[in-house]
Amino acid sequence: MVLVVLRRIGVFATTVVVASIVTFLMLSILPGNAARIALGVQATEADVAAQTTAMGLDRPAVVRYLDWFGHVLIGDFGTSTVSRQPIGPEITDALGITVILVLTSVVLALLFAIPFGVLTAVRQRKPDGAILSGISQIGVAVPGFLAGMLLVTVFAVTLRWLPAGGWVDPGDDFAGFLEHLILPAIALGSVQGAVLSRYVRSSVLEVMREDFIRTARAKGLGAGRALFRHGLRNAAVPVMTVLGLQIATLLVGAVVIERVFSIPGLGSLLLDKVALRDLPAVQGIVLVLVVFVLALNFLVDLAFTLIDPRLRSAS
Amino acid sequence: MTSITPTATPAPTLSVRDLRVGSPFNELLHSISFDIAAGERVGLIGESGSGKSLTATSVMGLLPETLTATGSVRLNGVDADLLTAPDRNLNQLRGNTMAMVFQEPMTALNPLMRVGAQVAEIMTVHHTVKGRRQARERAVELLTQVKLPNPREAALAFPHQLSGGQRQRVMLAMAMANDPQLLLCDEPTTALDVTVQAEVLGLIGKLVTDRGTSLLLITHDIAVVAEVCQRVLVMYQGNIVEDGPVGRVLTAPQHPYTQKLIAASDLSSVDDRGRLHTMSMPVVATPVVSTAETSPRRMPTDAAALPLSPAHRAAHQRIEADDAPVIFNEVTGTPAIRVRDLSRQYRRRGGSVFTTAPIVHGLREVSFDVAEGQRFGIVGESGSGKSTLMRILCALDQPTSGLVDVLGQPIKGASERQLRNFRSQVQIVFQDPMGSLDPRMKVRDIVAEPLRHVDRAEARARVEAQLAAVGLDADVMDRHPHQFSGGQRQRISIARALITRPRVLVADEAVSALDVSVRAQVLNLLADLVDEYQLTLVFVSHDLGVIRHLCDTVAVISDGRIVECGPTGDVYDRPLHPYTRQLVSATPSMDELARRVTA
Repeated sequence: MVLVVLRRIGVFATTVVVASIVTFLMLSILPGNAARIALGVQATEADVAAQTTAMGLDRPAVVRYLDWFGHVLIGDFGTSTVSRQPIGPEITDALGITVILVLTSVVLALLFAIPFGVLTAVRQRKPDGAILSGISQIGVAVPGFLAGMLLVTVFAVTLRWLPAGGWVDPGDDFAGFLEHLILPAIALGSVQGAVLSRYVRSSVLEVMREDFIRTARAKGLGAGRALFRHGLRNAAVPVMTVLGLQIATLLVGAVVIERVFSIPGLGSLLLDKVALRDLPAVQGIVLVLVVFVLALNFLVDLAFTLIDPRLRSAS
Repeated sequence: MTSITPTATPAPTLSVRDLRVGSPFNELLHSISFDIAAGERVGLIGESGSGKSLTATSVMGLLPETLTATGSVRLNGVDADLLTAPDRNLNQLRGNTMAMVFQEPMTALNPLMRVGAQVAEIMTVHHTVKGRRQARERAVELLTQVKLPNPREAALAFPHQLSGGQRQRVMLAMAMANDPQLLLCDEPTTALDVTVQAEVLGLIGKLVTDRGTSLLLITHDIAVVAEVCQRVLVMYQGNIVEDGPVGRVLTAPQHPYTQKLIAASDLSSVDDRGRLHTMSMPVVATPVVSTAETSPRRMPTDAAALPLSPAHRAAHQRIEADDAPVIFNEVTGTPAIRVRDLSRQYRRRGGSVFTTAPIVHGLREVSFDVAEGQRFGIVGESGSGKSTLMRILCALDQPTSGLVDVLGQPIKGASERQLRNFRSQVQIVFQDPMGSLDPRMKVRDIVAEPLRHVDRAEARARVEAQLAAVGLDADVMDRHPHQFSGGQRQRISIARALITRPRVLVADEAVSALDVSVRAQVLNLLADLVDEYQLTLVFVSHDLGVIRHLCDTVAVISDGRIVECGPTGDVYDRPLHPYTRQLVSATPSMDELARRVTA
């Protein structure tokens, strides 16, 4: 068990290094000289040359990579070419916001998907099951930004129950923080929840046909108890796989939702920096986003190992 | 149609009356009635689709939602009719008064739960023990009673950590936990190896006899019934067609279906052409010899009737105690298949950076020959290495070391280009005819697929001729695999294998998934075709009986080695190796069975 976890950590660390190389390469092979971009179109050749040296761009790529990644490992993402300020603090602040937003929406999605999916599976042949199933089908079809705008129209503009956007730090005003979190988290989580509930439904349907559920019935467990005690954990395995795959989609969704609700998260920051052509900042944010996805997938992998004993043995 | 045996005891444990099961569209069980007396052991045999599993699930009240049952099912001491009783009442009976063991112990156990906990659960559900602790203690006791090695540790194991036989023992421990009046077993040993099957059957017999439990044992295998039961019910198309003591039914079956079933099960009884007795079923058509220009290696029409005279007769040898290498069935001259010191090792997956992966020996220094035209059987249990050997002979896998030469083509290191001709010369028929046929292809395309450089018209003609040769009409060409029965699908597989006119045919458990009646037909077909096309046959199976019938020579493989090899009759009648003896005694012939039962 310990060995399996250690191995997963090893795989995670390796992937992070590979991801950093890919991120670095992609941004350095982009056409255009970073120094020229930083100086703008008015710069002279001499200015560019000086800037190139100042930014260390005349060094070999390997050295530049090691320099950059080495500093990233100690939390130093370099200096913005626009604001001349260190990028690190900006990224950390934005990351905190995005993590809260994404995790809340995952929890909301699961809170919706599990009961809803199980219900639609159990009531499969009944009319109410069909109606519920139809609702989740519609949910799958609605894009996140549209859900966000609808929520804003109803709850912020018409009913005036919640703010239409912005962000409050939980340390400053926790009630205000919750008020600002609710709508974007629901907007982001609802689509995921609808998609997940479809998978929960099919997974539960599948599990209910399994031989061991029949065994549980033959042992004298009622249908509900058999499903609850033997079915749900088994049904969780394929759902987790989908959840892991969806995390990347969730981050893309977060970029859009942050815009809709003007939340200063990583997505907003990334779009700002891209608009400003602040390459070092973009590079740092992309890496953080990639590592974030990898970290969540790592957690999903660990959860797998906890659920399924067949994955625990090292050999 | 049904005869009810009057029982001596006043109240039978189980009483089924006029049981009908069906969907709104058709009836699957037609008025079944039978009793099982207290402590009586009753077998229920029939082929797939005969309704034997439906009978058991009706008794347990676990029919699929789409099916409804009418009639009455009564348990001794229970007032209500089980068919109409509410689920709440049934939940109290299931696992307590009546319990059931299912066929596939891997899928029948929850893979995420320790087996001890699964055994304990059936007791906590019915409150037959006080508290979880006691249930766990009792579970270990039960696992001891079903003779699971190290029961205390085994209780903490997950199902995937146990072998098939061990898992079935766990199922049995679970079923017997609350000392039920009635135990239902649905094909309890079908998924197990023959030697394990014998042990598990012995255990079932002992448990129910010791405790006086009534037993309903469902199986397609008449040998299993003979081993455990006193009485047997024979089912055919949703009816019980015969009901009587096992000895009588086995030796003097009354109903024509039973007579044919027993004749078809008997692989030692053949007609004057050396073919098995088959049941007249709609699928049968005697093999038709294909038309002239499509078969360059065609034999005279009456070739099938000619007795095969093998030029080569194998020496009867066994592996020596000192493990000295033996070349089994050595052929003078050029054999069709020559294997010398063949070893195949696997690296088990998941070796970490720190430790090297453990090496598993699939095959160890195997040496043998197969002569041209020989019918060579390879018999062994799961994990023995027989499938590995088969895959290497077909160049689907590579040997780790040693020499393998098939039709003059060395297998080791051969590239796919070098093997192109070989692939048409050596063809395979697999076990599961459903899984090995592409469900989205039409039969014509499936059968024609191995052909190369053949235009459409000729391909069509050859497919048609080949289908005729395996006893299928030309109008099946445009259908898909799911539209056929298991036996018909296996015919399609055979047609596909033979269309390239191979010289060597390798069959991997080719009849193991088939009902006995269909099995007899397919075995006869194979025998006919092997004669007609003068094939060298390598037939891999776990079933000694099938091999004995079809093959002239047999190699017994165990733990990656051939332990014994020789003419089939000799090996069967005078086994040299202890393992072979164990195998032979675990698969008795019908005569032997009848002797055992009547004794």
